[in-house]
Amino acid sequence: MIDSLAPSATNALEISRVSKRFLVAGRPSPVLGGIDLRVRDGEFVSIVGASGCGKSTLLRLILGLDTDYDGDIRIDGAQVAGPGLDRAIVFQDHRLLPWLNVRSNIAVALRHSALGKGEKAGRVDELVKLVGLERFAEAWPAQLSGGMAQRVAIARALANRPRFLLLDEPLGALDALTRLRLQNELLRIVRQGGTTAILVTHDVDEAIYLGDRVVVMRPDPGRIAAVIAVSGAESHDRSAPEFIRLRDRILALLGVVRSEADASAGHGLAPVA
Amino acid sequence: MSFGWTLAPPAPVAGGTAIAAGLRQLRTFAASAGLALAVPLLLAALWIFCARYSWIPDQILPAPAAVWQTLREGCADGSLRDATLISLQRVLAGFGIGAGAGVLVGGLLGASRTLRSYIEPFFLAFNQVPHIAWMPVLMVLFGIGEALKIILIAWAAFMPAALYALQGVRDVPEGFRELGRALMLDRRATFCTIILPSALPSIFTGLREGLAHAWQALVAAELLASFEGLGYLMAYGRQLFQLDVVLAAMAIIALIGVAFHVLLSMAETRLRRWRLEGAQ
Repeated sequence: MIDSLAPSATNALEISRVSKRFLVAGRPSPVLGGIDLRVRDGEFVSIVGASGCGKSTLLRLILGLDTDYDGDIRIDGAQVAGPGLDRAIVFQDHRLLPWLNVRSNIAVALRHSALGKGEKAGRVDELVKLVGLERFAEAWPAQLSGGMAQRVAIARALANRPRFLLLDEPLGALDALTRLRLQNELLRIVRQGGTTAILVTHDVDEAIYLGDRVVVMRPDPGRIAAVIAVSGAESHDRSAPEFIRLRDRILALLGVVRSEADASAGHGLAPVA
Repeated sequence: MSFGWTLAPPAPVAGGTAIAAGLRQLRTFAASAGLALAVPLLLAALWIFCARYSWIPDQILPAPAAVWQTLREGCADGSLRDATLISLQRVLAGFGIGAGAGVLVGGLLGASRTLRSYIEPFFLAFNQVPHIAWMPVLMVLFGIGEALKIILIAWAAFMPAALYALQGVRDVPEGFRELGRALMLDRRATFCTIILPSALPSIFTGLREGLAHAWQALVAAELLASFEGLGYLMAYGRQLFQLDVVLAAMAIIALIGVAFHVLLSMAETRLRRWRLEGAQ
C-alpha cells in the first residue's frame, strides 16, 4: 500500500479512502465505499462500471462540486475544497447554453482568465479550430448535431488549459460512428495538450482504447474492483487479440461475461442488470 | 457584460439571402394575418347584418356605422383622445410599478428557497383573491383619487409578473447552475449568462399576463370611481343608453391591448433570437 500521507511527486491527484452517502428516501445509502486511486500527471485514466457504481459521483467530487464526503482528494498534496480552473469537465449532455452561439459558449469559460479581450478572442478562435468547427463559430447550439455540440463542450472545457480534464461519459449520447471519430479526436487533443484526463464511461472498448489505465468499478457501494494497465499493443487495434482478451477480462470483472479465470476461481459473478 | 446573447450577429447557417428571407417572412406574416382576421371579419359581417335587419334593437346593439361615427367625432372633438390618454397613462404607470416590482420580488423568491418557503403559500393565497375584490378595501384606505387607480392596476400587474418570474428563476435547469459553478462564474456572471436568459420566457409570459390584468383593473377602477378615462366613458355611455360610446371605448381598449401585446412579443423575439434561428 502506498503511503497516502506522503504525496509522491509523480502523483498529481490522490484519492484516499473516499466514501460518500446519499440520502435515498430519507435513509443514507452508500454510493462510494472507500475509493483509493492515484493519477499521475499526463496520464489518461478510464473508469468503467455499470450505472449506479458511483463513477460520475467520483468525478463530481474531484471537480469540487460536492465536498460532502469522507476521505481525502488531494491535488499536489492540497485538499480539493471546491471547483477550480485547473479542473474542467465535459458532461454527457453537452450543456451548451442555448442562448449563446458557439463562440460565446466557449468564451464563458474564459471569464476568469487573465487574458486581455483580444487574446481571449484569439484563444476562442484557436479552440474553435482545434475542434474543427470554424464554419459553425457563430451558430446556435440548436443548429448543431450532437457530435458538434459535444466538440464545443470539449473546447469550452479546454479553454483555460486545465491540468485535469474530467470526462463524464462525454460520448455516451452519440451515435456509434461519431463516437469512434470523437474518440480519436479526444486522444489527439489530450495528448497534444499534455492534459491529465479522467474518463468515466460504460463502454469498455472506449475505456481500453483511450486509457493508459482502466479502473473497473463495481456497485453497492461503489468501489474499485481492479486497476488494469493498458499496453500500447492492447489499445491501438480494437480487433487485435490482445484488445479482445483485455476487454473480456474487464467484462468479466464487471460481471457481464464469465471468464475461465472466474469460473475456475469459483466466484460466480452475477450478471449486472 | 453579456456574451452577446442579445447582440450576437446572425448565424451564417440560417440559409438564403436576406431578401429571400425577408420575402419568406412577409409571406408567413400575410398568411397568419389572413388567418387571424377571418374570425373578426365574420363577426363584423354578422354585426352588420344584425343592424341592417334590426335583429337586435338599435339601442342595445348600435350599427357599426354609428360606432364608427362616434369614434370619429370623439377623436375630432378630443374627448375620446383625452380619455384614452388618461387611461393609457394610468395603465402605464400602474403596470410599470407593479410589473417591475413583481419581476424583482418574483426573481428573488425564485432564487431563494428559504424566502420561498416563507412567502410562497401566502402569495398563492393572495393570488386567489381577484384584484377587483381589493377595491373596497383600497377605496377606504386611499379614497377614490388617482392613487387608488394606480395602486389597483399595479397590484393587478404585480401578481402574474411575480409568480411567473418566480417560476422562471426557480426552474433554471440544475445542469446549467452546475455548469456555472464548474466554470466558477461569480454571481453577476451567473445571473447574466445563465439565470436571466433561462428565466426570460417565463418572465415575458408574466408581463403579458400582467398587462392584461392591468387593463382589466383600469376599466374596473374607472367604471366605479372615476370622472375621466375610457372606463368612465363606458359607465357614462351605459347610463345614457349610448351604447355606441361603450362600444367605441371597448374597441379602443382592445386595439391598445393588442398593440401592447405585439410590442411585448417583438421585444421577446428580439431577445430570444437564438430560438427562432436555431429552429430553422
